[in-house]
Amino acid sequence: MSALAQETLLAREPAGIRVEGVDLSYGTTRVLRDVNLEIRPGEFFAFLGPSGCGKTTLLRLIAGFNTAQRGRVLVGGQDISDLPPWKRDVGMVFQSYALWPHMTVRRNVAFGLEERRVPRAEIGPRVDAALKLVGLEGMGERRPAQLSGGQQQRVALARTVAVRPKVLLLDEPLSNLDARLRVQVRRELRDLQQRLRLTTIFVTHDQEEANTVCDRIAVMNEGVVQQVGTPMELYDHPANLFVAGFLGTANIMPGTVLRDGAAQAFEIDGGTRIPLPPGLDVPAGARLMFRPQDVSLLPVGTEAPGRRLLEGEIVHREFLGASIRYGVRVAGAEVLVDTPHMGGEGHLPVGGRAALALDAARVKLLAA
Amino acid sequence: MATTPAIEAIEATVAAPPAPRARRWAARPGEALAFGLVALFLLAFLVVPVLTVITVAFQDRATGGFTLAHFGDFLSNDLFMRSFFNSLYVSLMSVAVASLIALPLAYFTTRFEFRGAILVQTLGVLPLIMPPFAGAVAMGLLFGRTGSVNLLLDEYLGINIPFMEGLNGVIFVQSIHYFPFILLNLTASLKNIDRAMEESAQNLGAHGFRLFRRIVLPLAMPGYIAGASLVFIKVFDDLATPLLLNVREMLAPQAYLRITSVGLEDPIGYVISVVLILFSVLSLWISSLALRGKDYATVQRGGGGLVKRRMSRGQAIAAYALIAAILLLVLAPHFGLFLLSIATIWSYSPLPDGYTLAHYTRVFAESSQYITNTLIYAGLAGLIDVIIGTTIAYLVLRTRMVGARWLDYVAMSALAVPGLVLGIGYLRTFFGITLPDGSSLAAFWGIIVLALAIRRLPYALRACMAAMQQISASLEEAAENLGARRLRVVRRIVLPLMAGGLAAGFVTSFATAAVELSATLMLVQSSDDAPLAYGLYVFMQSPAGRGAGAALGIIAVVIVGLSTWLSHLVAEHGGGRKSA
Amino acid sequence: MRITQPVLGRRALGALAAASVAGAARAQGVSGKVTVVTSFSNDVTGPFKRAFEAAHPGTTLDIQNRNTTAGVRFVQETRSNNAVDLFWASAPDAFEVLKRAGLLEVYKPQAEGIPERIGPYSINDPEGYVTGFAASGYGIMWNERYMRANRLPEPKEWSDLAKPAYHDHVIITAPSRSGTTHLTIETILQGEGWEKGWGTIKGFSGNLRQITERSFGVPDAVNSGQVGIGIVIDFFAFSAQGAGFPVKFAYPSVTTVVPANIAIVKNAPNTAGARAFIDFLLSQKGQEILLEPTIRRLPVNPSVYAKAPQGYPNPFTGSIGLPSLVFDVGVSEKRYRVVDALYDQTVGTNLEGLKRAAKAIGDVETRLARRDNAQARALLEEARALISAMPVTAEEAASDEVAGAFSGRSGPGPRQAELEQRWAGFAREKYTAAAAKAAEAAKAAG
Repeated sequence: MSALAQETLLAREPAGIRVEGVDLSYGTTRVLRDVNLEIRPGEFFAFLGPSGCGKTTLLRLIAGFNTAQRGRVLVGGQDISDLPPWKRDVGMVFQSYALWPHMTVRRNVAFGLEERRVPRAEIGPRVDAALKLVGLEGMGERRPAQLSGGQQQRVALARTVAVRPKVLLLDEPLSNLDARLRVQVRRELRDLQQRLRLTTIFVTHDQEEANTVCDRIAVMNEGVVQQVGTPMELYDHPANLFVAGFLGTANIMPGTVLRDGAAQAFEIDGGTRIPLPPGLDVPAGARLMFRPQDVSLLPVGTEAPGRRLLEGEIVHREFLGASIRYGVRVAGAEVLVDTPHMGGEGHLPVGGRAALALDAARVKLLAA
Repeated sequence: MATTPAIEAIEATVAAPPAPRARRWAARPGEALAFGLVALFLLAFLVVPVLTVITVAFQDRATGGFTLAHFGDFLSNDLFMRSFFNSLYVSLMSVAVASLIALPLAYFTTRFEFRGAILVQTLGVLPLIMPPFAGAVAMGLLFGRTGSVNLLLDEYLGINIPFMEGLNGVIFVQSIHYFPFILLNLTASLKNIDRAMEESAQNLGAHGFRLFRRIVLPLAMPGYIAGASLVFIKVFDDLATPLLLNVREMLAPQAYLRITSVGLEDPIGYVISVVLILFSVLSLWISSLALRGKDYATVQRGGGGLVKRRMSRGQAIAAYALIAAILLLVLAPHFGLFLLSIATIWSYSPLPDGYTLAHYTRVFAESSQYITNTLIYAGLAGLIDVIIGTTIAYLVLRTRMVGARWLDYVAMSALAVPGLVLGIGYLRTFFGITLPDGSSLAAFWGIIVLALAIRRLPYALRACMAAMQQISASLEEAAENLGARRLRVVRRIVLPLMAGGLAAGFVTSFATAAVELSATLMLVQSSDDAPLAYGLYVFMQSPAGRGAGAALGIIAVVIVGLSTWLSHLVAEHGGGRKSA
Repeated sequence: MRITQPVLGRRALGALAAASVAGAARAQGVSGKVTVVTSFSNDVTGPFKRAFEAAHPGTTLDIQNRNTTAGVRFVQETRSNNAVDLFWASAPDAFEVLKRAGLLEVYKPQAEGIPERIGPYSINDPEGYVTGFAASGYGIMWNERYMRANRLPEPKEWSDLAKPAYHDHVIITAPSRSGTTHLTIETILQGEGWEKGWGTIKGFSGNLRQITERSFGVPDAVNSGQVGIGIVIDFFAFSAQGAGFPVKFAYPSVTTVVPANIAIVKNAPNTAGARAFIDFLLSQKGQEILLEPTIRRLPVNPSVYAKAPQGYPNPFTGSIGLPSLVFDVGVSEKRYRVVDALYDQTVGTNLEGLKRAAKAIGDVETRLARRDNAQARALLEEARALISAMPVTAEEAASDEVAGAFSGRSGPGPRQAELEQRWAGFAREKYTAAAAKAAEAAKAAG
């Protein structure tokens, strides 16, 4: 069977997903608060956040395993909030894979098709196509218990795509795999999603996974969507300190905003002032944020025109290959600094003092 | 994600590819010792007593040598063959009817937000704690040809339904009496199914009955088969119920009739005993074949919220109505017995002529020792059973010890040993052994406890097996890996996880031992040492005493029911801790 | 158990008698525990226990309640370390088994005024192993409500039970399960002869609803109205009446009287106590206890009947009709198990076939009563003969070849199981043929 034939058997017109004003609580615990999302057709979308942020709850809400107290979910323009799970046509791959141990791989994959009353003659080819798609042709007669973790995951995936769902939901699909397999599988997932042009939601707590495979990400915390954007947007323009800290490494300096007429400046606790562009709207309680690579490390006493200098003591050093990360204690806070590593260059000793040059254009003031 | 990091860590551990169940290394000294002790117990209190009785089946009466002629007689006799097929038919039908009763109860109470689930499950165990012969008396009064139901039907509709005629009666009484075996095992099994299994099926478009049939039922199969095979064997071997219903043409009654009327020397009774044992072993073997490769240790516990489903209003009404109807039927023997216990005279009328509390007064004044004896005997027997059951389950499932499987078979064969044969075997084997105070070992009340323990061991054993089968070996390996020694792993990991199953095993053992009669009847040496079922039997044998017997029966049901309910609470508590 | 004072207070004379027995007993050193294995219920044993313990202070009567067969097994199995003093039960055959096994001890009680026989039945074992202390008559018990609802007339005689009206309304205990039923069957066989006797037996057996395995199953079914008519021993009916059940009882004009017995077990731990209890049972006081409403058995001492309430049946004065024959214990003994097996095989396992044939005959009979037909009558006679036919003659039944197969002796003859299979097959064929004949008769009757 050609790859094209496979895709025709398994692909369908992609559908978008809208989540509108969803509130969900268990008893007095509010798990989702006013969640609004727009996921475009064919998009690979991630729900990213720490444990307990509500991302799995939101996914299960879309699949129909939870009920929201308020708001609705639309798939392909149709409101599915009141549909039971079996009528939603929303494919979900469970974190535990949930392969039925009493059925062979083939029977597992054929299950959804049988439930949809797909003609028997059509089931066989579609099961074959799904198994081929995930590279498990020839494994059809095995039982789930006879497969490795990675293979089980592929069966779960094949089982879901075989029914040609409108959208695909992946609940932490990589969490039960070892590190090397994770990298491989996430590429395969991306590849498969592209080939089937399937609107996909990927739930993860690992920013690297989200960044590498997803088109856009919704960062969630405590039941609230913090920010939606492409990985790069989120990294470069985090909406708040949580997003900044959750995606990549961030230095966050406490301090106060000083205003003198139109001119404003941020004074880091400990003294150094950084002038801010006039008219910049600084939220109350904002803190200064910059990435480790946005600051450079200079010997004490160096002049750096146009850049603000802070002084501190180097307290630790990590060699990361392409760069060296220094920890510098400045006025009570620890600042991480990445300097590029060129072959043969030396490094600064731990315990020595150094000056930090900060580019005012690259710092951000963010509220919590 | 509501789960804690600790749970996630466990999930990560358990989601690894299933480790091979059996250990590769040779038996450790502790395991060998456990094996030895259990083997010795079974040998002394099951194998030897039964063998002393069974040899007769193969003995030529003239020469004392080996012969198969008695088996030839059995096979060429129409009566015995008809009895055999009747037994088979009644057992299979009883399993079918018991399943119809147990399935909805188990499913609704475990899978839906069901108010009174504990009540349903406790009530569902009640039939087990009613002596079957007392239950049959009550069922005759309610459902017999001139029972309450048929008298009313006859009066208003002019029809008579033969609930209790011939084999129907046996099937009816047996399924109502033994369905809790299926209910208990099935409930435990259903509770252990990962909800993701169901949810993924729903996600793929399955729901309602198809979801149940294609996913839930197959996954609950190990528990169901364990329960169903118990029902099958129990009905196949049961003696008291067919006898009380005057059905002779079944295998166990034939064995009993031969031994007690033709005499202890008649070989046919022993041949039938041997056939019963063979057949039970065979059906256990078949069920183990059916379960081979269905190792559904559900390793992914905890993922997602284990929220029970809510029923729509209509569904809820239908479900409650169905459950109420089933419970009404299931509790009919209790209801009938209760009526009898407060009845003055109840004869050829839908309800008794009048009501009185005199029977209870009489029972409390004359027979309180029956109650305390029963609690002590059945409690000890249940304890012995759970200890031995867990040990055997452990040896079979967690070690690759040669012969461990045989302990299982030998212990299970107790199911096929009629109580009467066990009682005679005990008397023969232990009577010559004298205790320090000069009395015989067979006269010691402890021997009743041992007989009860042996008789009920199979139930506890199956429950322990099922409970341990549901625990992934990797959980124990994780504990070992963290430095726990074997015995500590058993104590800290295995036993807490098995708590529900163990409680189920204890309850089954305790409750059924409390109403056991056939072996007890042979072994009771003095009415001061007699348990409740014996007292009940004595009362039931006199016209003036039936009311008192029924009162004693009701007291038995209440006491054992309360204990069962308490153990259920303990099990629920253990279960709560397990999935916290 | 507490001693109930009023029981003694009511009977001053009894207390006096008891005191004299007690004095004698003390002289012999009666004390300690007297262990009794019995099939009698609490209702029977309780009054005796209370009275005996009152008469012999310092002794306790330890009652071990077992059904008769289990009791026999128990004594047999525990012979090596016997702890039982007395065996106390109704069924004479149980004592016969124990006696033959050498498990009983001879004792001639001291009581006076007790005759040798009641009608044709010996009260005591001639060799002195077993002592009869009471008798009970066999008869017909019925539930009045059941009879009214089904519009059945009250039966009076054994032969009434063979009438078509009673089809499916009668219940009996299997003779192999009940010594008393066995005795009834044997009495009919000895009274009417082998062929005619079996005809009578099969006649009422064709109307049976059920054959129970427990003696109590019969009064139980009649009391609760599950079956209308039961063939039972009198005290079951009397005690049920005493408890208030709507039942009645009648002795047919010829009945069987069954002795209830007691015997000392070999190597009894308390022989003196055992003897004292037997003497107590046969004393005036002990015999009077039999008259109590919950017990209601017939004393073996004729003088006690003077104290009995009005209308109390008395086998010594002819108020219960007894067969005039002399019951031949030897014949009975020889074919004991053969008779049981014949009933089990020809009636017990073939009850459905027998009932079908009996029903067919009864239906034709009812029609012939309205419009007679000689040809049909003749065919019915043939059908009845087929039903009555037995696979063995009286001589064969008592022969070494047949009886030997049932006694556990080995020999050249067929084994028990082979014979049983042959007899069951014989009866099945005959009943099928009888049903066919009855169908022919139905056609002839038009």
